[in-house]
Amino acid sequence: MPSAEDLRQRIEASIPGARAEVEDYTGGGDHFRATVTAAAFAGRSRIEQHRLVYEIFGAEIGGPIHALSLKTQAPQQSTADAPAEDASAPQPTTTT
Amino acid sequence: MSSTNPTSELPMSPGQQAPSAGPTPAGESNPIREAISEAISEHKVILFMKGTPEAPACGFSARTVAALQALDTPFAAVDILPDPRIRQELSAISDWPTIPQLFVNGELLGGCDIVTEMYESGELAEALV
Repeated sequence: MPSAEDLRQRIEASIPGARAEVEDYTGGGDHFRATVTAAAFAGRSRIEQHRLVYEIFGAEIGGPIHALSLKTQAPQQSTADAPAEDASAPQPTTTT
Repeated sequence: MSSTNPTSELPMSPGQQAPSAGPTPAGESNPIREAISEAISEHKVILFMKGTPEAPACGFSARTVAALQALDTPFAAVDILPDPRIRQELSAISDWPTIPQLFVNGELLGGCDIVTEMYESGELAEALV
């Protein structure tokens, strides 16, 4: 059974320079939510960005990984070395 | 505007099961894939989902339906659950592994995450014009 940490490591190992945060949001080891920041996403559509992540897991998506909810973004250009949270877009701490 | 969503019928009643369950090799006639492609090209907005807009069978599908309904968008919907080959062929066409999948003007717009993000940013309303 994959863990959020497994997924994080695989995403960061597969996409050069990627920073990932992965959450197992049911605690069951099969529903995950990931936020991925990577320079490789720059200039790509959301669809292409998500495909880059989905490709890492192949047939595991829909298999052992029932759900992988994604939020992808390219690093802020002015803070490429430190992909800090964008203060202008605060994330709610609770989601529906 | 009516919120009734026509459910697109793909020609795959249970009585018409093909002998093989796997994706059809290239070059052979593939009626399911052709029916899906046809449905995508015939409907400006079409959602492939688990369950129906009235009774979604998955939270991700439900959330995507809710975004479309919040914009009062008419859309066709296809339930992928009755036959596993629908999902196989759909993902082969779209190169997208998860359900739901929303197509607008023949192009994959996204799954639940992207549609939700676009709804919240206002981009979904623009994409559906």
